[in-house]
Amino acid sequence: MSTPTQSKSLKTIGEDTWKNKTEKVNAELFTLTYGAIVSQLCADYDRDFQKVNNHLFSMGYNIGVRLIEDFLARTALPRCENMVKTSEMISKCAFKIFLNMTPQVTNWSTEKDAFSLMLEENPLSDFVELPVDAMKQLWYSNVLCGVLKGALEMVQLDCDVWFISDILKGDSQTELRIKLNKVLKDEVPIGED
Amino acid sequence: MVRTKEDLNQSIKKMNRINAASNTPTAVGTQETTEQQKLQHQLQIFQNSLPKVSQTAYMLLLNECVPLSMAVEKKRGDRALNLVGNGDDEVSQTEGKLEGVHLSPPLDPPSNQLCRELYEADEEKHNRVLDRLRNIGFEIGNKVTELLVFSNNPNLHFKDMDLLSVMKFICRDVWRQMFNKQVDNLKTNHRGTFYLFDYDYKPIQTFALDSESSAKELQMVKPFLEITVGVIKGVLASIGHAPENVVCLASYVDRPEEKPRSSFTKGVSFHVQVTM
Repeated sequence: MSTPTQSKSLKTIGEDTWKNKTEKVNAELFTLTYGAIVSQLCADYDRDFQKVNNHLFSMGYNIGVRLIEDFLARTALPRCENMVKTSEMISKCAFKIFLNMTPQVTNWSTEKDAFSLMLEENPLSDFVELPVDAMKQLWYSNVLCGVLKGALEMVQLDCDVWFISDILKGDSQTELRIKLNKVLKDEVPIGED
Repeated sequence: MVRTKEDLNQSIKKMNRINAASNTPTAVGTQETTEQQKLQHQLQIFQNSLPKVSQTAYMLLLNECVPLSMAVEKKRGDRALNLVGNGDDEVSQTEGKLEGVHLSPPLDPPSNQLCRELYEADEEKHNRVLDRLRNIGFEIGNKVTELLVFSNNPNLHFKDMDLLSVMKFICRDVWRQMFNKQVDNLKTNHRGTFYLFDYDYKPIQTFALDSESSAKELQMVKPFLEITVGVIKGVLASIGHAPENVVCLASYVDRPEEKPRSSFTKGVSFHVQVTM
């Protein structure tokens, strides 16, 4: 019984924070800035898209470890007790506050340790069309995977994050997969226990 | 002698003309201004209705370009070394990763380390990284103009825009689009040299430095100004001032006394020089 009310409050927290506590910029500016970064990377690596993917991921990771601080400070949300809660927090609060979108959470694994986010509208890849050679290998929005990986690691969740499909590659939907490897232990300083 | 006098006369005439031109809009009367206000209001509504994202996310993305560019520089440097030496292990490593696609790829070093490496890099490397940043900025600037051309801003008439109004466009519209604020001060000698002063330059406002920031720290923050240097050149290029005719440099200036304290102790000045 408590779950629906909780999830509703998460949604309102996300919307409230977005509306009242967030300075905003034009999403198109965001899109084209990201586009400029990706195209510079592609030029740097002579269209070796695997390397571009890795750099984007890495860049995202570095953003994520910082972004989580801002997120926690803005929302003052407590720790999630399980992955279901985590998934709601990500889709209803985090994505809402930073990108003003709410991806669907689906495809739960039976152990409830892996789920998918469906990105219907993705502000990173609006108006983007990949050239044919990039379509095979480039995960255009790979920075998102890195951000999620970095941010989750900072709250003691060691996860793997990767794209399963992307509309830009001709798939019917954009699906991002998050899989929990293990919950990192809180370290106790030596001699404290 | 005579010629200089003539020149002088002409320049006085020119000055008069500028004055006259600036006088006309006010002389036309109040009806025009209300029309103008109405258009401004409409523009505001239009701007507010556009999709938005968080500025924090945007600033993090912009700033992360600096360590990213350094990481790219390092990777490419390594690759060049590998071609010469016996560095097969890097290649095999990435191939191994290819098989388990869903595994996390190898991470670059953390941002703070990359920023320090950039600071310690030799001049040639340093310049290549800065060039990369300026390129990113250049492309952003190019497209920002497009974004703003289609915004129906009643103040913009690109057809008959002189250099001064182009710079005003950068100070007002481009800055507001990117940083939610305007440039604080614009100075010019009316011969193609402009100084744009921003005393609270947004991308570096979250950087925590000691109250008396040391020369080293300031030097380390400096690459974070380069994207905007590129943006300015990009905007100018999209309006017809080829990049080879434009010099743009960023430097620190002291903040004026009356400005309230901000977390970053220095203001930023962009020095733009356009040869016509």
